Amino acid sequence: MICSTAFTTLGRAQAKALGHPGLPIAVIPHPFGARSREEVRALAEQCVADIVKLVSG
Amino acid sequence: MGTDARAAALEAPDDIDAINRLYRDKRWGDGLPVVPPTPARVERMLAHTQRAPDDVIAQVAPGFGAATVERIAINAVLAGCDPEALPVLIAATEAVADPAFNLQGIQATTNPVAVWLIVNGPAAERLGMSATFNCLGQGNWANATLGRALRLILQNIGGALPGEMDRATQGFPGKFTFCCAENEAASPWEPLHVERGFARDASTVTVVGAEGTMNMNTHSKEAEELLRIIADTMIHPPSNEYVHGGEPWIVLGPEHADVLKRGGLSKADVKRRLWELSKMRVDRLSVKDLLRARESRTSELGELKPDTLLPISVTPDAVQLLVAGGPGTHSIFIPSFGNTHAATREIEA
Repeated sequence: MICSTAFTTLGRAQAKALGHPGLPIAVIPHPFGARSREEVRALAEQCVADIVKLVSG
Repeated sequence: MGTDARAAALEAPDDIDAINRLYRDKRWGDGLPVVPPTPARVERMLAHTQRAPDDVIAQVAPGFGAATVERIAINAVLAGCDPEALPVLIAATEAVADPAFNLQGIQATTNPVAVWLIVNGPAAERLGMSATFNCLGQGNWANATLGRALRLILQNIGGALPGEMDRATQGFPGKFTFCCAENEAASPWEPLHVERGFARDASTVTVVGAEGTMNMNTHSKEAEELLRIIADTMIHPPSNEYVHGGEPWIVLGPEHADVLKRGGLSKADVKRRLWELSKMRVDRLSVKDLLRARESRTSELGELKPDTLLPISVTPDAVQLLVAGGPGTHSIFIPSFGNTHAATREIEA
């Protein structure tokens, strides 16, 4: 699961409700709305290695 | 579907203040005092359905708690409902779980969206609901407690606690309660439930993912002029409906409905005219919202250029009309969440 910081509480609560309390969550900074496409791309590049680790871990 | 899960009894002091303190501490309420759901009160409620207490009506997003008939009854007691109201809440719980309603989105969004209940058919009168003056305001026990009970079901069974899974930025007062009946007697057209394929003598509940209410006070007595004024109100750039293709609701006061009827318009005519007149130029959207609209609506409308006219909904019949309220020159516009379709279910007689 990938959540922005403002939605991590929702992500954790929902993972628990669906029976996966230990689900790893990749957290990315909130908000997106004010960022340019380039900034979002830079953020994605920073996160991608962590996300791959979570998915393959 | 059945389950062995019956609610566990909780011992509490026979003291209303202590019980409300318990509910407050556990976050089992909506911020207002509750009626203690004693086994006797819950049993009285359960006597008004043929369904077994452990029947699961739905799994309520986003926590996917099992809404058994008994749990629905407990929340109905908490909200102060009359026992006869239970079948409305069972039908409403089934309706919110319709995939087209998108309860997950409605419950967890930052958007201020409540679930508005509309009751049609003989059940409305039987339960003493208001479809006339102040029907969305305070003062009618059935309207107030039914809307409140559904909110408690969504929160206590669905797990949508503010700041946790309910991510509403501000919310709005309709999240306490939002419920009315249609004023079928004053409507010049077929009522909502008949339009949606139910028999006229059936009773139904329709659930709507509704934002707030915007009043439209106009003394206009000319149908085309009235339609233009309503359509102008519907046009607003920061709207999920224009971005995604929505399902806007117009609650016509009986006097405005009469103006339209005297103009020779059927319900379908009114929907089509409002859909046409409320088209909005794409360049009224912010640049960021235009990107969202492109993702949602390019397949429907082709390339969105600055002068493309965006319809508020994909088709004219997605514009929804309800006749409700008492005397006066008021109608209201209720924008929907955008990514949602209203759902209707028959109420057990």
